[in-house]
Amino acid sequence: MVDQKELVKVAKETLARKDVKYIIGYKKGSYGFQTSAAFAYTPKDVEEFIFTPLCNKNLAKYPLKEEKLPLKRGEEEDKRKIGLIVKGCDSRAISQVIQENGMKREEVVLIGIPCPGVIDQKVIEKRFPNQSEITEVTEIDDDYVFTIDGKEQKIPKQELLAEVCKTCEYPNPVLYDIIIGEEVEVNPKAEYEGIKELEDAPLENRWEYWEEQFQRCIRCYACREACPLCYCSTCMADLLEPQWIRRSVNISENTAWNIMRAFHLAGRCISCGACENACPMDIPLMELNKKLGKEVKEMFDYAPGLDIEAKPLLGSFNPDDPEEFIK
Amino acid sequence: MESLVISKENFPELINTIIKSYRLFAPTEEKGFSGFNIIKDYLEMDLSYLNSRMPPKAILFNQTETLFLMEPGAKGSIKSKAISNEKSAIFAIRPCDAKGFRIIDPVFLGDVIDPLYKANRDNSVLIGLSCNQPDSSCFCTSFGDSPASGKYVDILFTDIEENYLVEVMTEKGKNFVNNFGRFFTPAPPKEIEAKNAKEKEAIKLIKRNLKVEGIEEKMDKMFNHPIWEEYAKKCIGCGTCTYLCPTCHCFDVVDESTLDKGARVRTWDACMFPEYTMHTSGHNPRPARMHRLRNRFYHKYSYFPKNSDVIACTGCGRCIRYCPVNIDIIELMNRVSEMEL
Amino acid sequence: MTENPYQPSLATIEKIKVEVTGERAIKTFKLVFQDKEIQEKFNFVPGQCVMISLLGKGESMFAISSSPTEKDYLEVSVMKHGKNTSALHETEEGDTVGVRGPYGNHFDVEGWKNKNIVFIGGGIGMAPLRSVVNYTINAQKRNQYGNLDIIYGARTSNDLCFKDEFTELQKRDDVNVHLSIDVVEEGWEHFVGFVPSNLLKVKPPTKDTIAITCGPPIMIKFVIQNLLELGFKDEQIFTTLEMRMKCGVGICGRCNIGNLYVCKDGPVFSNAQLKNLEGDM
Repeated sequence: MVDQKELVKVAKETLARKDVKYIIGYKKGSYGFQTSAAFAYTPKDVEEFIFTPLCNKNLAKYPLKEEKLPLKRGEEEDKRKIGLIVKGCDSRAISQVIQENGMKREEVVLIGIPCPGVIDQKVIEKRFPNQSEITEVTEIDDDYVFTIDGKEQKIPKQELLAEVCKTCEYPNPVLYDIIIGEEVEVNPKAEYEGIKELEDAPLENRWEYWEEQFQRCIRCYACREACPLCYCSTCMADLLEPQWIRRSVNISENTAWNIMRAFHLAGRCISCGACENACPMDIPLMELNKKLGKEVKEMFDYAPGLDIEAKPLLGSFNPDDPEEFIK
Repeated sequence: MESLVISKENFPELINTIIKSYRLFAPTEEKGFSGFNIIKDYLEMDLSYLNSRMPPKAILFNQTETLFLMEPGAKGSIKSKAISNEKSAIFAIRPCDAKGFRIIDPVFLGDVIDPLYKANRDNSVLIGLSCNQPDSSCFCTSFGDSPASGKYVDILFTDIEENYLVEVMTEKGKNFVNNFGRFFTPAPPKEIEAKNAKEKEAIKLIKRNLKVEGIEEKMDKMFNHPIWEEYAKKCIGCGTCTYLCPTCHCFDVVDESTLDKGARVRTWDACMFPEYTMHTSGHNPRPARMHRLRNRFYHKYSYFPKNSDVIACTGCGRCIRYCPVNIDIIELMNRVSEMEL
Repeated sequence: MTENPYQPSLATIEKIKVEVTGERAIKTFKLVFQDKEIQEKFNFVPGQCVMISLLGKGESMFAISSSPTEKDYLEVSVMKHGKNTSALHETEEGDTVGVRGPYGNHFDVEGWKNKNIVFIGGGIGMAPLRSVVNYTINAQKRNQYGNLDIIYGARTSNDLCFKDEFTELQKRDDVNVHLSIDVVEEGWEHFVGFVPSNLLKVKPPTKDTIAITCGPPIMIKFVIQNLLELGFKDEQIFTTLEMRMKCGVGICGRCNIGNLYVCKDGPVFSNAQLKNLEGDM
């Protein structure tokens, strides 16, 4: 894991740059196992920065969420860069967005941190539902170690590790300006193992499975808002004319929403798991995204978010593209 | 108020008897979390739950509801919707969620009465179940309430090991209990004491506190304070906090039709979405997340007290627990409370 | 059964009058409830609003632009802009719409008796003011009010609403009409410039006068500034506000400014109220 002092030092140096307006990192959360995004404008703010196995949110969303309100008279736009702490997945998100022209490389300064995997928030909170005291977790060998009510807990990493991290192929940032910490060894486990069982199930069982999942959707759009690749200025789900998806919350509209979002992420999802993390109804959204990611990989030998110079998969044409699916 | 007991042995039969004459909503476990569903048998119920993921407000104020039916178009017509008068009981509702109904009653049953909510409210008996196990984000005690409060329900059950203590709180509750009189016996004092002991234990488990006192006056002076911007920075603008809140009552009204059939429908809406206030002209009175987030907290802690004399927050903790970015109403409001102005 | 406040009554579009053509088209719809009893019982005061819907499309709130002195119908004047207004613009005479209301507070036309009234409108913002104008110039009412000054402007002469009515009004000697357009046009004989400037030019006396204004937010802002400059007190200035609305009865939540709901506590506010109102507008 990264040394907090080094993190603060690097972040301070970055903040001191004339062309950086603020840095987004992680700080302790307000209770239990939470961590929070931290927006540092001053060196003092930076001192709160942490990087622990609980830093499981994807910060890449925030530069895209920055609101540009109309300028007041005489006011000039602040064109300085945003500093951002990125894990492997966050860096892929930024890289993919740049590839799609959603952001320019020079708009961000990336402080990369090789990531040994993060804890699944839902799993740890379910296991310790009464933990209101702010709890720090450290990783020691293959265990997570923390203290609850004065008692040290040592829990095997695999029990708490987020699913997406278990099969992560890119734990080391693929795009960065500065990197801190040691490179992490890549997990040899195949990325798409998690969906194998579902893939092998008969069609009607799969349909039944997803109906059950989508039934629960409350259309809060937390998945969309948490996803660094969902950055359209107006989501088609919010359009009134034409209205693609009705506001009624029922199996038909919910299915339309979830399938549409999955399709829009085909060849773009960088497997950070932010959507699934954010979903208050525990819909296994990453199973959909992984399946589409796998199809894309097999058909086009393409993985998103690795090269800012590459052409977005669905925005480019190659004479060798497979066409069996056109019947 | 009357205190009764029912043994756990007889309890399943009571539930199965209620089911015969009432539509019974009770917590069930699905995919690792609890929700209120209509049950057909005692065995479907899961009383080990902490609280349901979705508040039971969804039972009386459905997320999607038809207001009336229509034949759409320029020569269209309207067909009123028959309002159901089916008798329901909501079993094992937590005291905080029951308070949620008390809070939104003045909205739906004020100057203008919402007939759908009213029918559901009138036809439902609220049977509470005391929380013996509050969790890390619970803070009902901040509002002077208790995890074993019977104030907002018709009947309150408390698990006291071998038995349930059954406190009958209202006339509606009394009528209900009378229908099933054979299951209950008057509570001996030691059982009432047992409940009090459970309540004390549960209160001790609530570790977090929101300092409510004087907050409304503070907020009167903080509309332009930078704290709203600070929190809005990390808010991602989803609808989780509003949809899971037992007191958020805002809704959208839309027409949904095919060529020959249609309905005007209302669905929950969230003040965190920009479309919520967007004018046709493109002007938005709350253009930034800061405006929207500020409005949400003001609605709960300033506007609602001004209009209905109650803070529109029950301390159920759902918005804290399920916020994807750790926006914590206790943390924020305590900062407001402690603000030196 | 309790009455369903969300369910409109059906009304027939008796007449459609084209006020403005082109991109910012405006039409006035004359509506009569299909149920005679409902029509007879429908009472309102200028400033109040109604929810109008084309069934299957959706509902929007509009200010009633006719005067309650006309008992047999009500009118709304609608600019084509979004989904619902575009659908309304496609209707024909004889078509059916849903109408519910009236909603909200109103201009205090009773309390303003014996006072002079200055109307300051911009574009489609004249619609709610027209209701007051037609109320106060009504044969039975006119002698109850003092001077009536109408200051009205739009971007171009084509964008002026109720043109024929203003032509009639200009012929009367008990109403003063001051029209304006934003930019010079050939043949235009009246003021050229923005409405707030025209106000300064007209310079209505403040004594015993009520000023009511409606138009684009930016116009309202400068009109109020100029009214104050002319010596009007906050209590003499009234405006009517717009918000996105859905239920119309203070339940659905979205139209609040501070703790007030524009649908039920508004839409008419005095500047004295607005000044003390802290909220998003």
